Amino acid sequence: MIKERTKEKLISIGLVSPTVLAIGIFVYGFIGWTIKLSFSDWNTFAKLLKGKFKFVGLSNYIKLLFQDPRFPSDLWNTLFFTILFLLGCVTLGIILALLLDRGLKGSIIFQNIYLFPMAVAFVVTGTAWRWIFAPGISAYPQGINLLFSKLGLDALRWRWFVSIEHIGPFNLALIPVVIAATWQLSGYTMAMCLAGLRGIPSQLIEAAQVDGASGWQVFWGVKFPLLRPIILSAMIILGHISLKIFDLVFSMTGSGPNLAVDVPALYMFETTFERLRYARGAAIAIIMLIMVSFIIIPYLISSMKREAKK
Amino acid sequence: MAEVRLKDVNKTFGKVVAVKDFNLDIGDGEFIILVGPSGCGKTTTLRSIAGLEEVTAGEIYIGDRLVNDVPPKNRDIAMVFQNYALYPHMNVYKNMSFGLRLRKVPRPEIDKIVRRTADLLGIGELLDRKPKELSGGQRQRVALGRAIVRDPHVFLFDEPLSNLDAKLRITMRAELLDLHQRLKTTAIYVTHDQLEAMTMGDRIVVMNEGLIQQVDTPQKVYDHPINRYVAGFIGSPSMNFLPCTIVKGNGDLYAACKSYKLRIPQDKTKSLRDYIGKEAILGIRPEHIDTKDTITRKYDPESVFQASVWVIEPLGSEKLVHIKSEERILVARLDPHVDLKPGQMAEFIVKTDFIHIFDKETEKTIF
Amino acid sequence: MNTSPRANKITLYIVMVVFALFFLLPLYVLFATALKSFSEVSASRMWNLPTIISGEGFAKALEKLLPNLLNSFYLVIPATAFSAILGSLNGYIFSKWKFKGSDIIFPIILFGMFIPYQSILPPLVRFLMSIKLYNSIPGLILTHTVYGLPITTLIFRTYYTEVPTEVVEAASIDGAGILGTYWRVLFPISLPGFVVVIIWQFTNIWNEFLFAIVITSSPAKQPITVALVNLAGSQIVEWNAQMAGALLAALPPVLIYILLGRYFLRGLLAGSVKG
Repeated sequence: MIKERTKEKLISIGLVSPTVLAIGIFVYGFIGWTIKLSFSDWNTFAKLLKGKFKFVGLSNYIKLLFQDPRFPSDLWNTLFFTILFLLGCVTLGIILALLLDRGLKGSIIFQNIYLFPMAVAFVVTGTAWRWIFAPGISAYPQGINLLFSKLGLDALRWRWFVSIEHIGPFNLALIPVVIAATWQLSGYTMAMCLAGLRGIPSQLIEAAQVDGASGWQVFWGVKFPLLRPIILSAMIILGHISLKIFDLVFSMTGSGPNLAVDVPALYMFETTFERLRYARGAAIAIIMLIMVSFIIIPYLISSMKREAKK
Repeated sequence: MAEVRLKDVNKTFGKVVAVKDFNLDIGDGEFIILVGPSGCGKTTTLRSIAGLEEVTAGEIYIGDRLVNDVPPKNRDIAMVFQNYALYPHMNVYKNMSFGLRLRKVPRPEIDKIVRRTADLLGIGELLDRKPKELSGGQRQRVALGRAIVRDPHVFLFDEPLSNLDAKLRITMRAELLDLHQRLKTTAIYVTHDQLEAMTMGDRIVVMNEGLIQQVDTPQKVYDHPINRYVAGFIGSPSMNFLPCTIVKGNGDLYAACKSYKLRIPQDKTKSLRDYIGKEAILGIRPEHIDTKDTITRKYDPESVFQASVWVIEPLGSEKLVHIKSEERILVARLDPHVDLKPGQMAEFIVKTDFIHIFDKETEKTIF
Repeated sequence: MNTSPRANKITLYIVMVVFALFFLLPLYVLFATALKSFSEVSASRMWNLPTIISGEGFAKALEKLLPNLLNSFYLVIPATAFSAILGSLNGYIFSKWKFKGSDIIFPIILFGMFIPYQSILPPLVRFLMSIKLYNSIPGLILTHTVYGLPITTLIFRTYYTEVPTEVVEAASIDGAGILGTYWRVLFPISLPGFVVVIIWQFTNIWNEFLFAIVITSSPAKQPITVALVNLAGSQIVEWNAQMAGALLAALPPVLIYILLGRYFLRGLLAGSVKG
């Protein structure tokens, strides 16, 4: 006679085991396989078919990081993109949240406008902004250059994502992509900050006002410190998205002139599915995974710890 | 109807010992109350009886059955939760009939039982309503009804009245007692409110830090607390405690405080024989302090002390007077019309027949 | 206050409108071009409104994209349903029936929603090929169901944590077992949770691109995201059709957002692990 309590434990484990099994295989098992692949020399379709595994250690990684001109440049692009993207989303998000928090009539309409890009696919966003930022040629400007021209703002015309200008390792061609990505996702930071602002007890604000604080001081002294954890959390989520960015770049610019807009995800896609150099592509993927893990694992650990405390 | 026995029950959560060496025999049909402050282990004990917690050691018997390994649904118990725990999507009828439906009791039978119980509790008109449409008191009755309908061997109550407002609480206390008298089912009731414990229990179990302090009828616990903790916990306002030294004088024993001494009643001197010259703790209940003006009987002149009035709380039926004596604040329950003002010095008389002395180290009651 | 409250209000409105223009800019570009006739479409007239509204762009886009739109529906509906149901059961167990190790297993599952999918693509493709589901919508359904499990589990777990544990205990005392309690007590009140999960999954699976482009290789089987990128990159399709195509691809999730935006927001807030 099985104890009733044991039966309960078995049922509960049984109900989640399909998921645990699936994740175990499709996430961890597959990652393991990709790691193994990255240590091999399967860099042609023929080799893949043959299936013979030859261990070459870290040679794929070394080649990528130290002998390949493209990958380090991708990493710089990712860094530049991430910094600008986070800056843009956080700043715009906070500004929009503060505006909406005023509660002016019709705010809900504005809120919906600011948030709707999140429902749009990255590929649609990329397609639309490509048309906007396509520079055309100097005699026949297109897109936003055309608009600037019409408005008499010719000085603002630029080559946008076709530009090969750079500041050190930072390619300026990424800027239009950052603008498109910020357009897409600043609604997320806005929503988080708005929820955060609304969560601040009004008595706290009132106490500060009675103490003599001006609007600015209330923001920097009361609101911003209380929003910091939310902003941090949003930055972690957005940051890990920017490390993986693929859809947007693929549909908006491709790799760009001189690979100015190339990112690791694009490189991996090209390497694995167009050039069929599977092991090399796997190495890129694993490096991406390591980068993301650095951000996400501490985040998960601290979230779980915080929950355990409750 | 059944007895409940707990034998050497221990429950630890990781490193924390919640319940220690708990031994208790509850008689069939008894209304027993577990009372103590938050964290004393009373709720953990109740949940262990329910089967919602597994005991770390010890045995629990319901009736003659050892139920340690029996899951809650098979222990034939019913529980009323502090937050009622009503099923939000079911109306009152369905909430009350849930347990019976699970046991495949035939429909007409369920209907009879539910309606009868609803009428008993005065919620017969509410059977179609959902919990969110009910007031706190009504929800509480539905929770009660859900338990009664099951006709269990034991009722378990987890602080059921603490979410009700003060007036409703008093009404419900009386109703619960009335119900118990009618149904005569064994009931185990947990509360942190010592007043509830005193007014409702056949016996009360005073707990602190996982251990049983004392088990007895309410009046016995009040009159003869077994240690200083119980003495201070039961009774509101709580007992006054003063440090004193036991001294001999004029052939009698006295509890000597700094500026005055109180004569120990004759029949109690024997128990203090070993304490002469030693320090002890004196306990005086507020109702055992009088003023010269209001005392009506003859009193021992060696039971008087002087103190200054600090704060007066008029309750209408009596006055709670806080007085300062020897750097301590004592509370006295006095006649509502007594004429005292804050800052005034006055003489107070102790009914020394009712004082308690506690051992200073063990805090156990000497008498 | 130096400036009057009314002047402040007007300034605020102006600022909000300026930002709104930024957010609506692409929408304007898409609509303005999609609604032009073939003859009117040109790069130089990009910012001008159409002189006459024409459905030619949409008609052409529909003609080319309809099969892919349908593919997306065939993909999204089952994948959402499966991942939602499993997520609900998982969320129930992880929030109400914690067992030894469940507090470690849960974040291990959650990690799956953060990984770059590039790191599992090669084995995934190989796996799908081996079970003959490569280049098929069912293959995509399987993929999205599995990789959707972490987020659906998270959303439901957060949702069920709000239900007082005492209700589950009361059901337990009343005689219901684990599954009975789920079916009779928790499932009936799960509707808001399901709405959030369904909206979230629908939007994300519909909009997804990487799995779509890797797993379905023939144009006839591809979902709308891939078809759009192919369409938009083509030299021979007119712009009004391309932009109309973009609008069509964006339409279903945006429609859901317009109608059920409240739940969309809830998904956002629940989906980012709180803290």
